[in-house]
Amino acid sequence: MIEEKIIKKNRLNAMLQELSKEYSIYIPAGENGDFRFCELRDTNDELVFWDYRNTRISPKEILFPHSEILYEFSRDESHQFSISQNNDDQRKMKNVILGIRPCDARAIGFLDRVFIGEPNERFVDPYYLKRRIHTIIISLACNRPQISCFCTSLNGRPDGEEGADIIAFDIGEEILLKTVTEKGKEFIKESSKWLGNVKKSDIDKKNKIFKESAKRINSRVSVEKVKEKLDDSFEADFWNEIHRKCLGCGICTFLCSTCHCFDITDETSADRGKRIKCWDSCMYPLFTLHASGHNPRPNYKERMRQRIMHKFNYCPENFKELFCVGCGRCIRNCPVNLDIREVINQVSQLK
Amino acid sequence: MMKEIETRIKEVVKDLFTQNKIDLFIGYSKGSLPLTSSPCFITKSEDIEKLVWNSFCSNNLAVYLPRIFNPQPRKKEKIELPRIGILAKGCDARSIVVLIKEHQIARDNVFILGIVCQGMGDRKKIRNDIEITGAEEKNGRITIVDENKKEIELKREELLSDCCIECQHATPPIHDILIESGNQRPAAPKGGGRDFEKKSIEDRWNLFQEEISKCIRCYACRQACPNCYCRECFADQTKPRWIGVTDHISDVMFYQIGRIFHQAGRCVDCGACVRACPMGIDLRVFTHKLVRDAKELFDYEAGVFLEEGLLLATFKPEDKQEFISEP
Repeated sequence: MIEEKIIKKNRLNAMLQELSKEYSIYIPAGENGDFRFCELRDTNDELVFWDYRNTRISPKEILFPHSEILYEFSRDESHQFSISQNNDDQRKMKNVILGIRPCDARAIGFLDRVFIGEPNERFVDPYYLKRRIHTIIISLACNRPQISCFCTSLNGRPDGEEGADIIAFDIGEEILLKTVTEKGKEFIKESSKWLGNVKKSDIDKKNKIFKESAKRINSRVSVEKVKEKLDDSFEADFWNEIHRKCLGCGICTFLCSTCHCFDITDETSADRGKRIKCWDSCMYPLFTLHASGHNPRPNYKERMRQRIMHKFNYCPENFKELFCVGCGRCIRNCPVNLDIREVINQVSQLK
Repeated sequence: MMKEIETRIKEVVKDLFTQNKIDLFIGYSKGSLPLTSSPCFITKSEDIEKLVWNSFCSNNLAVYLPRIFNPQPRKKEKIELPRIGILAKGCDARSIVVLIKEHQIARDNVFILGIVCQGMGDRKKIRNDIEITGAEEKNGRITIVDENKKEIELKREELLSDCCIECQHATPPIHDILIESGNQRPAAPKGGGRDFEKKSIEDRWNLFQEEISKCIRCYACRQACPNCYCRECFADQTKPRWIGVTDHISDVMFYQIGRIFHQAGRCVDCGACVRACPMGIDLRVFTHKLVRDAKELFDYEAGVFLEEGLLLATFKPEDKQEFISEP
């Protein structure tokens, strides 16, 4: 049973204040349109993200940070080894991510499939899981899409619910909250003293705003044939041309809300060391460099092909989903304007 | 004026292909977002129509030359070097000069189509919360359209990148053909970096940390920089590994200090690193200090004279040495 509740914007701070006793709360923070997810430190701060478009860097960084120490190891005088799990992560284990856009919430659903998988999956990333399992995702339906947004071409919607526990709709003075998962329902129940009942007029208002919002997404790409076309295109001439202007930086992969590749490195000194997990990018030569010196993806061409193949062919194969949610971050931030929509269109037209 | 230059570019490139003087031309094509252009590789004359010239042809195209002339991995057999035509603004041409002097480019294989640059615009000068859905450039004015179809008219000058405002070398110092652009924009007084320089060492260090703490190590600054052509960057080396892999401030600073100092006497202040940075770090505050030091201590500007020796590879008895003890 879906539940819909309403809260006045000016009561939200009080609610967050109480929640912050139990949860770490992440919200988009910033100014002049430049936002990034941060932990809410002072619950008296005015919440300014209602009209934000999206964060520059995707909120995946909350659950899958740029770098984390997995464990530390040391050796004492008698050559006894000891390992200590990383304990410097003092944050509370329960998180609320508030204000994430539906495209990014959907992307977290994709990351879940990679790092956690199906129930009883053999390979689970415990570091991702420990953050994810106690995290409540309250997405904020998108009322200000950008011209680089193309979520509607990829099964997304400005009011899409996938990946969220609760979806929030800004309907003016108030926020309408709609539960999506059991976890979300539980959360709403806990916070019920702050919430009021929804009137028919609120729902009408919501429907009107978000119908309008969907109309604003005019950028469309056709993805129906992409997977199939890529099946036979590994050796296509197309790759010789499409990569040419790529600079080989990691912007597209680092800002992407679905890219999830990482590296594991040991940093050691004489008698102690750390094992570190950190973001990596298929756009870097080091990503595939073998210890022998051989590199199976020696050039920009092979690396760019890998990125496109991974998103639009391998992931659909493994997870039944194109690993792109149409957030447009890579489009807005690519220093040479290598637009992924154009790449998709060109792939679709391959013979 | 922009349209005329564009037409002239196309004529020259057409001639180059017709006379079989080049195999590849690197210029700009229309970008997919308003107020952008995109580097463009032309290999056949049918594609020449794709070329554009406007106030957003800002990428430093020289960045592509080293990788074409020194392909990775090294081929055993001797490869025939392609003949490349390249569009070069003042800063692009200065980068080409640096690359020639550092033996990264075969000069004979490069045809430089120089353009006297009027300075390039920076989309980031418009506040991020204004969603630009369209733009038109006409007679030195740029009209942008926001999502509510509201038109905002701006002077071209209002959108110029900081490095372009202070640029002293609008005319390419090296070129095979030069396209003039009419009324020359007077170079603005050199101001960049002065505020930074006036600060105390402590404040400078704090500002550096604050700015650099935004870095996510995507290496876009390095990849966009024509000077960063190393086959293997010190930041990527693993045997030994010089820098930790995390986004911790100490690791990030190590990378940035390393990269920035490698630009001493080489940076042409093209602003490619600043434009590329997705996190909005103003790297130029730091690189410009090096540019100013090179000028003030050694009267040297990178990429201006092809015949002049490289700053760091030249010793003169009268070279100043104070900087060694005075930071």
